[in-house]
Amino acid sequence: MVDIGLFTQIVINGLLLGGIYVTIGVGFSLAFGVLEVVDFAVGEYVMVGAFAGAILAPLFGAEGIFVIPVVLVGFFALGALVQPFIHHVTTGDRPHPLLMGLVFTFGLATFLRGSVLTIFGPNNRDVPSSLLTGGVSVSGIGTFPVVRTVTAVFGVSALVVFMYYLYRTKGGMAIRAIAEDRTNARLMGININRYQSIAYGAYAALTGSAGVFIGMTFTANPGMGLQYTAFAFFMVVLAGMGYLPGVILAGVVLGLTQSFTAVYVSGNLVLLVLFAIIYLVLLVSPAGILGKGEWAT
Amino acid sequence: MGGAVTAVGLAGCSGSGGGSERDYFKLGAVTSLSGDLRFGGEVTQRGYDLWADTLNEQQGGIEVGGETYEVQIEYADAQSNPSAGADAASQMINAGADAVLGPYSSNVTLAVCPIMEQNSMPHITGSAESPQIWEQGFEYSFGTIPTVSIIGNEAATALLNLDPQPESVYITAVNEPFSVATGEAMRAAAEAAGITVENYEEFPRNTDYTNVVSAAQDADPDLHFHGGHIGSHVNLVNAAEQLGYTPDGFLMHYGVNTGSFKDGAGTQAPHSFGATVWIPSVERSGGVLFGSPGAYAEAATAAYDSAPDYTQAGSTAAGIVFQEAFKELGAAPPLSQDDKDELIGILEEIEVSTFYGDVAFETSGDYYHNNVNTQTLLVQLGTDGAPSIVGPEESATTEATYPAPAWADR
Repeated sequence: MVDIGLFTQIVINGLLLGGIYVTIGVGFSLAFGVLEVVDFAVGEYVMVGAFAGAILAPLFGAEGIFVIPVVLVGFFALGALVQPFIHHVTTGDRPHPLLMGLVFTFGLATFLRGSVLTIFGPNNRDVPSSLLTGGVSVSGIGTFPVVRTVTAVFGVSALVVFMYYLYRTKGGMAIRAIAEDRTNARLMGININRYQSIAYGAYAALTGSAGVFIGMTFTANPGMGLQYTAFAFFMVVLAGMGYLPGVILAGVVLGLTQSFTAVYVSGNLVLLVLFAIIYLVLLVSPAGILGKGEWAT
Repeated sequence: MGGAVTAVGLAGCSGSGGGSERDYFKLGAVTSLSGDLRFGGEVTQRGYDLWADTLNEQQGGIEVGGETYEVQIEYADAQSNPSAGADAASQMINAGADAVLGPYSSNVTLAVCPIMEQNSMPHITGSAESPQIWEQGFEYSFGTIPTVSIIGNEAATALLNLDPQPESVYITAVNEPFSVATGEAMRAAAEAAGITVENYEEFPRNTDYTNVVSAAQDADPDLHFHGGHIGSHVNLVNAAEQLGYTPDGFLMHYGVNTGSFKDGAGTQAPHSFGATVWIPSVERSGGVLFGSPGAYAEAATAAYDSAPDYTQAGSTAAGIVFQEAFKELGAAPPLSQDDKDELIGILEEIEVSTFYGDVAFETSGDYYHNNVNTQTLLVQLGTDGAPSIVGPEESATTEATYPAPAWADR
């Protein structure tokens, strides 16, 4: 017989875990949709963001959440700085631009991981935050861990903001035009480099901030990036490549699947079940669960 | 630190063999000087170097037949992966080492041991803990750190003996050889003590621990045992704090007394129980080379500006055991193959009293050639982040904070 208390708690755990994935998936999906770059460095941006939280939090009253504005600005600048290089290697006469982008970002990921490992060593680092500790118990439902709840709210809010920007502003229209057809967008007078830098900067800012939240939720470690790169790929496959609204559903599916498999099937089978779902979606609906990703066109 | 020579990337160099003239003992050391394990590799390197340097400085080396021979260590880089470790081992053998000091991590050690076996090369590792190494019965390989099957079991037993005695335990382990061996050792200890094991569950390395914690919370055990590496310990206590899961104690092997756990878990770290075989404050007989654990810690801190952990101590102890075995062998360097074979017999019989503890190797059974004599310590982190020895009873220096306070009361 299913214990209702445990069942509802697993639902909460799954939804909030999905919220963490949403914070990563939003930026990653945006980068792919707009820049057509499959960014292998996504997990390392998360890792560097987490370390930024660990290093900077003591300067902000030991509250990781106060570091977020700094990370948003800093990572936006970093992304805007990196984007021209990505643009350079994925355009012009170069063959296989997608592969070029992959190789470039793979190198970037290796560089970031190696740099953090060399500078800070292999140890874990806590991202302190006394404001986001513990959980809020709701009678008859379960416990909502504060830091995970705030992270999920941040991820969904970021998604809403991006959606608004993309679909309700001139800048967003320019970015969508670039995603649709770069050549025509250029002919229409859109400054491609500028808007791509904005898009990649926004992606880096969001992903770095997600890293601070993830650092507060778990910990910061130089080796943490790879798993988030994998989950970012899972997210965009399930959401549909470049389809932002699908990110929430993808996060929910990933989070709930992981939680229910861990508790009701076997902890050992979590990754097997996740991969099975990914393969199934790739086979049956390559444009994502909602069928609205880029591959549908 | 003049006794150690780093010889990285010398694959293909010609071996001097055992027949050439040499007026020093040449120890090969295989450890990870690059890659993800390089920081652990550096810890073993410090342990080996501290032994050789202290020996050469204090005693001029090893006295054999009225002559004193310095010890020099040559390093080969295992590059944090087993196949490179095997190559590095061959490199040291070809370089004419008299004996080899082993790598950091069990996976690399498992690749190095067969090479030692094929080449009949005496080998002592100062860091590997997986029981798989000793179960295979390698004749030429020895280890100073007791296998995790012993450490996990003895630490769990010590915790189960605290007052009030627990009635139930929940056990989790990361699904990797070292951690599963730890979890199973803890389960065996609980079952032997007649404690109810509410559940034993294995999870992949990067699992989300809220689900682990929710299931455990539902079972409401008195204690939670966890087999894993430091990252998983951090994630477990963080998730426990977030969900308000407070068993009377968490026991985790290994690394609770490391900076990585304390820095990673932050305010969640205090009151965690951990297992180790050595910390600087432990009382051990001392004996050869370093008079006491405190003296060793002082020497290590002076040399490297960093307090030693039990891996570094175990690595130094590996050198000390070789030193005593060489003395007993009484053969001048370079050692012939007959000398090396005789050395194995000496190592099987040897008993050395060190700052690290009494070292002697098993000669049969599942722990073949593993040192099972060094006593396991149950430690608990205090609110200042410092570990205290709280078990077993005869070694305890402090009373455990047990049951651990609820998260809200910390």
